[in-house]
Amino acid sequence: MLLAVIFMSFSSAKIFAMENSEGITIPLTKVTLAEAIKKIEATTDYTFFYDAIKTNLRQQVTLKADNQKIEDVLNALLKTTDLHYKITDHQIALIPKDNFKSTQSKKRITGVVVDETGIPVIGANVVEAGTTNGTITDLEGKFSLDVPLNADLLLTYVGYVSANLKVGSADHYNVQLVLDSQGLDEVVVVGYGTVKKKDLTGAVASLQGDMLSSRKTTQLSTALQGAVAGVLVTRDNSAPGAAATNIKIRGVTTIGDSSPLVIVDGVPGDINQVNPNDVENMSVLKDAASASIYGSRAAAGVILITTKRASENDLTLGYNFEYGWEIPTKQPEYVGIQRFLEMTNELRYNDNNAGGMYQTYSQDQVENWIKYNATDPNNYPITDWTDLILKGSAPRQTHSLNIAGGSKSVRTKASVTYDKTDGLYADRYYERFMTRVNNDFKINNYLGATLDFNFKRSKSHQPVFDPINRMRIAAPVYAAVWDDGRMAEGKSGSNPYAIMENGGSKDSWYNQIGGKASIDFTPIEGLKISGIVAPIYNFDKIKSFSLAAAYTLANDPNTIGGYYEGHSTTKLTEDRNDSYNVTTQFIATYLKTLGKHDLNIMMGYENYFQYNETLFASRDQYELTNYPYLDLGPLLLRDNGGSAYETAYRSMFGRVMYSYANKYLLQANIRYDGSSRFHKDYRWGSFPSFSAGWVLSEESFMKDADLNWLSFAKLRASWGTLGNERIGNYPYQATIAFSNALFYQNGIAVSELTAAQQQYAIQNISWETTESLDLGMDLSFLDNRLRLNGDYYHKTTKDMLLALEIPDYVGFDNPDKNTGKMSTNGYELELGWNDKAGDFIYNISINFSDFLSEMGDLGGTQFIGDQVKMKGSQFNEWYGYVSEGLFQTQEDLTNSAKINNNVKVGDVKYKDISGPDGVPDGKISSEYDRVLLGGSLPRYMFGGNVSAKYKGFDFSMAFQGVGSQPVRLNSMMIEPLGENWGNIPSILDGNYWSSLKSEVENAKARYPRLTRSNISSNQAMSDFWLFNGRYVRLKNLTFGYTLPVSLTSKVSIDKIRFYASANDLFCLSKFPKGWDPEMGSSSYPITTSLLLGVSVNF
Amino acid sequence: MTGVVLLISSCNDLDLNPLAAGSSENWYSNEVEIEMALKDLYRDVFWPMDSEDWTDDYTYRETNSSIVNGTLNGQDGSVTSLWTNQYKAIARANTILANMDKAASKGINQSKIDLYTAEASFVRACMYACLVSHFGDVVYLTEVVDIETAFTIGRTPKADIIKATYADFDKAVAGLPVKYSGGSQRATKGAALALKARFALYNGDWSVASDAAKACMDLNVYKLHPSYSNLFLTTTRNSEESIFVIPRSITNKVTIGGGIVLNTISRNPGGWAAMDPSWDLLAAYTCTDGKPIDESPLFNPHEPFKNRDPRCTATIVEFGSRHLGFVYDPHPDALEVLNFKTGKMQKNNDNRANAQYASFNALIWKKGVDESWLENGKDADPDKIIIRYADVLLMYAEAKIELNQIDESVLEAINKVRSRAYGVDKAAINDYPAVTNLDQASLRKIIRTERRMEFAKEGLRYMDLVRWRLATKALTNKSYGILYPAALLREKVTSKGLWFWPVTPQIDEDGIPDFSEMELAGQITVLSKRNWDDRQYLWPIPTKEVLINDNLSQNPGY
Repeated sequence: MLLAVIFMSFSSAKIFAMENSEGITIPLTKVTLAEAIKKIEATTDYTFFYDAIKTNLRQQVTLKADNQKIEDVLNALLKTTDLHYKITDHQIALIPKDNFKSTQSKKRITGVVVDETGIPVIGANVVEAGTTNGTITDLEGKFSLDVPLNADLLLTYVGYVSANLKVGSADHYNVQLVLDSQGLDEVVVVGYGTVKKKDLTGAVASLQGDMLSSRKTTQLSTALQGAVAGVLVTRDNSAPGAAATNIKIRGVTTIGDSSPLVIVDGVPGDINQVNPNDVENMSVLKDAASASIYGSRAAAGVILITTKRASENDLTLGYNFEYGWEIPTKQPEYVGIQRFLEMTNELRYNDNNAGGMYQTYSQDQVENWIKYNATDPNNYPITDWTDLILKGSAPRQTHSLNIAGGSKSVRTKASVTYDKTDGLYADRYYERFMTRVNNDFKINNYLGATLDFNFKRSKSHQPVFDPINRMRIAAPVYAAVWDDGRMAEGKSGSNPYAIMENGGSKDSWYNQIGGKASIDFTPIEGLKISGIVAPIYNFDKIKSFSLAAAYTLANDPNTIGGYYEGHSTTKLTEDRNDSYNVTTQFIATYLKTLGKHDLNIMMGYENYFQYNETLFASRDQYELTNYPYLDLGPLLLRDNGGSAYETAYRSMFGRVMYSYANKYLLQANIRYDGSSRFHKDYRWGSFPSFSAGWVLSEESFMKDADLNWLSFAKLRASWGTLGNERIGNYPYQATIAFSNALFYQNGIAVSELTAAQQQYAIQNISWETTESLDLGMDLSFLDNRLRLNGDYYHKTTKDMLLALEIPDYVGFDNPDKNTGKMSTNGYELELGWNDKAGDFIYNISINFSDFLSEMGDLGGTQFIGDQVKMKGSQFNEWYGYVSEGLFQTQEDLTNSAKINNNVKVGDVKYKDISGPDGVPDGKISSEYDRVLLGGSLPRYMFGGNVSAKYKGFDFSMAFQGVGSQPVRLNSMMIEPLGENWGNIPSILDGNYWSSLKSEVENAKARYPRLTRSNISSNQAMSDFWLFNGRYVRLKNLTFGYTLPVSLTSKVSIDKIRFYASANDLFCLSKFPKGWDPEMGSSSYPITTSLLLGVSVNF
Repeated sequence: MTGVVLLISSCNDLDLNPLAAGSSENWYSNEVEIEMALKDLYRDVFWPMDSEDWTDDYTYRETNSSIVNGTLNGQDGSVTSLWTNQYKAIARANTILANMDKAASKGINQSKIDLYTAEASFVRACMYACLVSHFGDVVYLTEVVDIETAFTIGRTPKADIIKATYADFDKAVAGLPVKYSGGSQRATKGAALALKARFALYNGDWSVASDAAKACMDLNVYKLHPSYSNLFLTTTRNSEESIFVIPRSITNKVTIGGGIVLNTISRNPGGWAAMDPSWDLLAAYTCTDGKPIDESPLFNPHEPFKNRDPRCTATIVEFGSRHLGFVYDPHPDALEVLNFKTGKMQKNNDNRANAQYASFNALIWKKGVDESWLENGKDADPDKIIIRYADVLLMYAEAKIELNQIDESVLEAINKVRSRAYGVDKAAINDYPAVTNLDQASLRKIIRTERRMEFAKEGLRYMDLVRWRLATKALTNKSYGILYPAALLREKVTSKGLWFWPVTPQIDEDGIPDFSEMELAGQITVLSKRNWDDRQYLWPIPTKEVLINDNLSQNPGY
């Protein structure tokens, strides 16, 4: 049986409660026991403990006190009940009378309390159930207690699921506490402060760092995928060191940059600057009320990352080693050599009947290529480019070390991590070194300080040439290597294998140094004033040494046949970028509790400045290929350049949080922001927000209703506005841009500087504003084992910063202006269950979300290729022709509207929708026959986690997916002979319209006839190519085993855990065979990671 | 207190200005700034040339460009980039013109202002000339308009734009110098006259064309470069024949581009030989007797380069000749060729018997190509000649012929160009087929053939096909090549002694060859069917422009 003891006291409130030296006075009332307890707690500083399940709190009792002692009051109160009490130091335990009597024959037991990772839990409460007999654990997590035989012990610690322990014959017990990811007492980090989860009024998702680090990704951004409802994380490759390409909170807010603001330890930063293992917790501020404290830059939501700090009395050392393999999930497949020859000939015949059936490959070649290959592979190559270039797997490893130490005055937490991931093709790797040291100082009761430092250095090494795109394009009929092993010509010097191997390499170093210093001054109880300065410096160095690479003739190793594509000269390019930003903050917070009134006030000032400068230099036509230094290249062919920009903002902000009796919660925020990006007359904007919460379960009528199954219920509502300013650095200024033109001077071509205004600037450009409304509820059932959180939101963005299409004859690039509206509706649900059966502890959580963004009046249109944003459309809605299948007969073709005169039977047939006069005009034209074809963004996103533990074993699993998403079959997936010489995707074979097939077969054809001459009209955007790209993916699967403490403690080790983990193990989707739903068409593959690891804690 | 210190020290100025760009508000206030703005108008991107692959002079293996395929639409890159770039230059020229008053008020003297005005007018005229030639009626703007106004504007009839553009050219002619004594060579009076003549010729305004051409000739600053074949090489820069050029320079990174170089040069030295001259072009050159190949007794289809106008072998590589360090020989039995560098024979990759992707019709370009194209990582930087003196002479002649004002000056103009091609003096009429005919119809045919021979691969054929309404015929025939594979070619052609062409193709009155006899006999192969659509005589207005502006109409047929 699970016991739940609810601590009905609020320790923070007690500090100011009156000392109870005099007697208690309470007028006579008939109340329930629960109300009586509350009343006493409210008027005195006593706290009640009781078994919430066994105790009938709804029984009627009589409460009366007339300047009486507590004992007298209690005696009178409990007279009609079957309860007894025991008072120990202002704690009142209510104990059933039968229990009370049997508190005889005690024995002393000892134990150790550890957390899931085996780290001792310091300060955990160990209480004999139903009594006040208890203790707390020491620095090593140890406790000892005298208890009766067969007693039930209850172990509790904030943020952890309570555990119970039946005392048996043993004298020593090891107890493991499990993190309660949804605990209501959990402290959630919000903008410039923290709040208990149960006091939240906004839509904030909070994640424990362990949950993110258990996903075993190199970059923090990718660990977030599927972890939070309403947070959409996309990626298109798993290249070494790759991060997520996009993070969107609650869908799309603006046409511009929809990526959220990331705050690391209170300072604007980058999500990938933090090592996943260093994350204490992460909060996602989803609604305007939560995010508006970040005002101008929070329109797309805010991610708050808090890194781990040491606590008092910490002294630990942990080491973790991990080794694994990255294995490509899927790779596109292509027809084999035989079908390639046949289909190529068919395609050429389709395009040019007069040339006959054997235009490209003669009948002899088609029939005997494979046979000739055996004896003459140079002239009859069969190359499997993917097999040649892509390795089956690539190793990866991580070492990390954590040290924590704390005393009363100084606390330090330090971590060091080294990662190395190899690439799936030759000469590619990524390595990274990260360290973070967080220090806390307590000078005296009034003064404290923190000093944090972090450093990250990553290096990526790869061939100058990324072979992936060409690997997928290249046809099998070209030789990669000659039969004697020399690199071959490929297709006229396009040989991705050879260029990858011999084309030189590129190294990129990224160094980041960040720091934060703060001084906290506490002049009076409850008031804290902090001054913070936090600089971040970035130094990047990129060195790309592209080598001249020649191939020799098949039959003559001494004669150069030519140079590989793009590698006819040796060229060195060096880039140096350096940038820095400094955030300074000045924050005051004041907490005050007066009876049932809790007040929390925060005011702040923030200043931010960013400067960025780039520099590059190159020389071309090096004679030497092993000296990658600028000095060694020819002077005549040197080149260099540089540029710089800066931005700044200044902000004032404030917040008031008020709660009454933990029932009614109110919050108001305001931020006043000024940005250097706007003209000074349009620079400042203010962004207010309000939110309220109602804790239903605290209401007496709810308690009276005797709803045992309901543990907690809260309704939330919020409204607020947010701003966005991310549109280049000087958008209001019509700047003169410089370029160069050549002129003859004395017979020599000289390059001269030229100048032109390229942008049409709109001076009064200002803030874009997003208004957002959120309605939410947080429910817990069955002793908080089942949780349900739900939110509905509506966001409207107006004065959207938009580069609308202007007529090109104006002669300027599309300018940014404040125009247009868009709105987004969405909802999110999170459902969780955690329970324990004996030693089996498990936890399941799933999240689900959806949103739909619709464009209002934009004051124009923005075209983006196959997608469009215009009034009434969804955000980036597919835009193209409506297809009516394939032309099956000449008669149909003759009588139908066509896109041009080159259309033949077997091509895609489009619907004639309109014409210049508003009616179908018998022609298919790009002007009049394209329509909206449905949204391109994912719908019904979901994700989930399952974790379980049994004694030393642990297991966890995470999944993620998209319920619906119209996706386009792109040209890389279905185009035959890409670039007119490439390969043929195998999904075409057997599924295309062909004059060689019967009418019946052609009626079922999925793809149009093979053609190059009409490929652009067949592949024009139309619903012909759309399919539902929904998918579900197993993100992570982990099995772990922790050696028994009895074994490890003998060698002074607290804990040893071994684990095996797999990322992206499998995926279900309707994508064409060989295509991973997340992989970009020319991108590095998505990989499955298989990992083995061990962690040791001292 | 510490906070207060931080607060004070942390105030940044929010009035930040671009660090690496100028401010437009106080630009155009001195000569340096105005000249920088004018120089921007000479950037390579604003001076596009019509592509050879829109014509019948060109073959790219079995493929056609969208124009030749008849699939051009308002989303085509050729369409949108031409439209956008020309209007960018127009807006910049208009901005300069609009700032001339400000410049005057800043004390810049009137002669400079007149010069700047003339130069900006020249560029604007050239840009509109290009737009009108391709699109017909277009939006005509002479000042910078705000966005609201822009959406209310429609197309101006072509006739009005032509008139205004002639006026801009005249302003340029009046204000531009004949020559620049020092400094940067920019637009000249001669350039304005020559390009005005070209625009007038395209519009059929014959007297305007002939007058402008005559005025240009009368400047007496241009003359024909002595060697036709050298004129286009990188060793010949800004020659006395060049009237308006955009220089290129490897060191300054304005080049024709490695892709074009590789596609143009032969395969033995490492090129691809994919963009090639067409058989139509080879057939178009007259014989040394001045007659078309189907009329001249000098023509032998088995030795197609013999007895031809010298511009034939200056434009297309003659079989068996030295080209880029090798003997060029596409004959299927020439399995090895001489490498002049090594002095040894080596495998011949310019032969489809050895290399499938060797030129599909056995022809490759010679004009402008020399061994310098193999250097600098196979990139090249010959002048981009926008207009040269030979064009002025032939435009003069053509305009006079169309006006039927045929006199000695007309013959002289043609013979000057022709005799230069033969490398002889104009007066040495026995050494070259001098034109003596005075009949309008014959001369019209002669001048059209002359233009094709003289200007092949110079971006002029496309507009000639359009203005002569010849695309209907020339771009709906077939593009031919040699039989493939080599075994078939040997069987049907070479073994019977029929290499190169089995018979002489017939040339019609418009100079368009007919290869159907050989096609029917199975002796040659059809590489592609050209499929021009007559709606393309006017290009489509870019789709986007039509969709966002209700006042803008599309050209007919799209």
